[in-house]
Amino acid sequence: MKRKALLVFLIVALVALPIFSGGGKEVKSTEKVIRIAEQVPGLITPGVWDGQVFSMNSSMYEYLVEINVETGELNPVLATEWSTVDGSQWIFKLRQGVKFHDGSDFTSADVKFSLERTQDPKIGHLKKQDFSIMSSIETPDDYTVIINLKEKRPTFVYLFTDYNMAMLSSEYDYANLGESKPMGTGPFMLSQYIPKESVSMVKNPNYWDASLPKLDKILIYFVGDIDASVSMLEADRVDVVPFLTPVIKSRLSKIEGLSVISPYQEQRFVAMNVDMKPWDDNNARLALKYAVDPQILAKSVTQMDLGAGAEYNETPIMNMLAEYKDIPLRGRDIEKAKALLTEAGYPNGVKVELYYASDHPFGKEFAQTIKELAAPAGIDFDLKGYTRDVYLSQYWLNVPTSITGWGGRIDPSMLLALAFKGDGPWNESHLNNPKVNTLIEKITGESDAAKRLEYYHDLQDVFYEEGALLNLQVPYLVGINDRVIDYKQPLTMLPQYKYTDIK
Amino acid sequence: MNRTLSIISKRLGSLVVTLAVMSFIIFMLVEIMPGDVAQMILGQSATDEAVAALREARGLNDPVLQRYFRWVGGVVTGDLGDSIYMQGVSINSILWRKVGHSMILALAAFIIFVPLSMFFGVLAGVKENKPTDSIISFFGLATMALPEFVSGVFLITIFGVQLKWLPIVSVIPIGESLFSNLEILVMPAISVTFVMFGYVSRMQRSSMIQVMHSDYIRAAVLKGMPRKYVIFRHALKNALLPTITIIGMNMGWLFGGLVVVETLFGYPGMGSLLMTAIKTRDVPLIEACVLLITVIFSLSTMLTDILYSYLDPRVRLQGGQK
Repeated sequence: MKRKALLVFLIVALVALPIFSGGGKEVKSTEKVIRIAEQVPGLITPGVWDGQVFSMNSSMYEYLVEINVETGELNPVLATEWSTVDGSQWIFKLRQGVKFHDGSDFTSADVKFSLERTQDPKIGHLKKQDFSIMSSIETPDDYTVIINLKEKRPTFVYLFTDYNMAMLSSEYDYANLGESKPMGTGPFMLSQYIPKESVSMVKNPNYWDASLPKLDKILIYFVGDIDASVSMLEADRVDVVPFLTPVIKSRLSKIEGLSVISPYQEQRFVAMNVDMKPWDDNNARLALKYAVDPQILAKSVTQMDLGAGAEYNETPIMNMLAEYKDIPLRGRDIEKAKALLTEAGYPNGVKVELYYASDHPFGKEFAQTIKELAAPAGIDFDLKGYTRDVYLSQYWLNVPTSITGWGGRIDPSMLLALAFKGDGPWNESHLNNPKVNTLIEKITGESDAAKRLEYYHDLQDVFYEEGALLNLQVPYLVGINDRVIDYKQPLTMLPQYKYTDIK
Repeated sequence: MNRTLSIISKRLGSLVVTLAVMSFIIFMLVEIMPGDVAQMILGQSATDEAVAALREARGLNDPVLQRYFRWVGGVVTGDLGDSIYMQGVSINSILWRKVGHSMILALAAFIIFVPLSMFFGVLAGVKENKPTDSIISFFGLATMALPEFVSGVFLITIFGVQLKWLPIVSVIPIGESLFSNLEILVMPAISVTFVMFGYVSRMQRSSMIQVMHSDYIRAAVLKGMPRKYVIFRHALKNALLPTITIIGMNMGWLFGGLVVVETLFGYPGMGSLLMTAIKTRDVPLIEACVLLITVIFSLSTMLTDILYSYLDPRVRLQGGQK
């Protein structure tokens, strides 16, 4: 009996030993590898890509230009130079010697293909509207592209910074291979892709800039649960975790060797639909603006102070941009808000629905805080939270009040015509103010930068007085291991891992 | 033997019917869920035109019954279709890898909880109303009442964060296999054991008590047989029957129902895949996962019945009389 017990013990010990000794296992290698935990992606082919797997796509694909994180200017990437006389014709000179990962040359035919692809109705390209102003594309030689526009667009080049505007090979079957074997000219090439599980990318040995990338490999884990991703960061299983919440930021900030950075901000708009009551009266809109205390709002939603991670204004222009006009905050004044609401015809207050995407970062917190802040002024928000797809497909654009998340644009005019002009397809507030419409037209067509800035300032004044918008700018938070050097991610949301190094 | 064949053929027949009904119900349930998968894929920047183009490309504009029967036709020929999200990536290539992972996790949990809970169940049964019984029963109740996400966090905190014995997450490092990272199975398996231990040990305990109080055991004891001999040779086989039923009934859950455990530990199994599929409304993937879980449930129940009839001659006899 004792011998049997001893035998069982030995077997158990033999099995358990390798298992339990694995807790602190570390891979020792001379390769420079960065490990990332990201959301499980939806579609990954540029054009119909909603922005997941930023790390994968920004490393595998490339763009004509990129944002310089330090200066905010445009860096040449696949285009070495660009010029326009009056904004109606654009000439791009392309970088020579660039090769796709399959060995084929990158030429003007590929740029033409990528641009024409935006207008292909079968693809449903998300930039179709923006690029519909193109009238023709000429490719006089392999390294020159001339784009003629239907109207003047002095800031047209900024459209090429959008994450869906990666340059694709005209010879590659993206329709069938884009989701399984994605391929571009980027600094990293696909090595292994396990759908819904992970991606492994290796340094592109033929990259046009011989000094880049600094890393040898990028490993991306697709993890459905943000808490599991954070645990991986804490356990040193990954080096980068994007899309953190402020609560997780507080938790990670206490752990040695980890940092939470905010490379850029996103916008959360409260849109008041001026076609619906009570927002059809500007006094009611002003009442809400006076009811809001921006500092409390920022602190409550983002756990950060105004100016220290969060920003607020009542216009479509982000505070961080050069076009922003520094209009002083109006300050909370409940009595004035009540008086304005009375003037609008609601002396006993008003009940109004507020729709939001409850599963979108900051959505729930924003809705609840606005409700609390507006209540003393007599505005009783009836909160209607739905999952993001339900919110977008069933309610967005057709409700009295809504909270929607918007990425920032380095050129704010990219969003103005779409979301703030009277006939814009994403005009949430339905504001059709002639002054606003005229100023947006002037901004998009003006070549003189000084004049354009003047128009931007005028536009912000109009929004301050008559607009139907509250704009809270919330931090995009990324948790990183302190070994990561030069993590760069501009407002375009695309991380620039080619510059990143690891200790 | 005839009885066994009869059970198998009946069960297989009902399995086909169950699968047909289940697949239809799931298809319809996802269909009536609010929201739109194309909108979900394309997000906020999607214009109506982009949504329409994607719906057309993925065949989502076809009538629901047409889509359902197209999908059924594929399944019959072994083609589970493509994930809505990944044109050119077959579900077969996504699913089976995850199924393999889940089976390994289920096996690991099975190896831990079955002998453990049976042993302690028998021990509690033969020590009825003694302190050993009370302790085992209390522990069984406590673990049964603890949801997996609580026991999981508990385990992570102790063994992962404090003692650093085991990895906090159960992710397979990229480029490595599960077999070279078996330590990632330990915590999820213990978490599952926590849930199963209570059920199985309590069932084992009560059936053991029942058997130990039966006349033939009393007769054996009175005959002067050694207690250990009575327990292991006479009582245990009969006391195992209800326990085997419970274990068999839970095999389906072990393979496909580990959604919480897999999500909590980040384990790349079928449970977490199903969770992702549901969150993203990936209908073909949801259907594939649910069908597979149904098959496993049905097969495990069938195997339990067969095993039961083998262990209990009365069941076989009843079958023969019929």
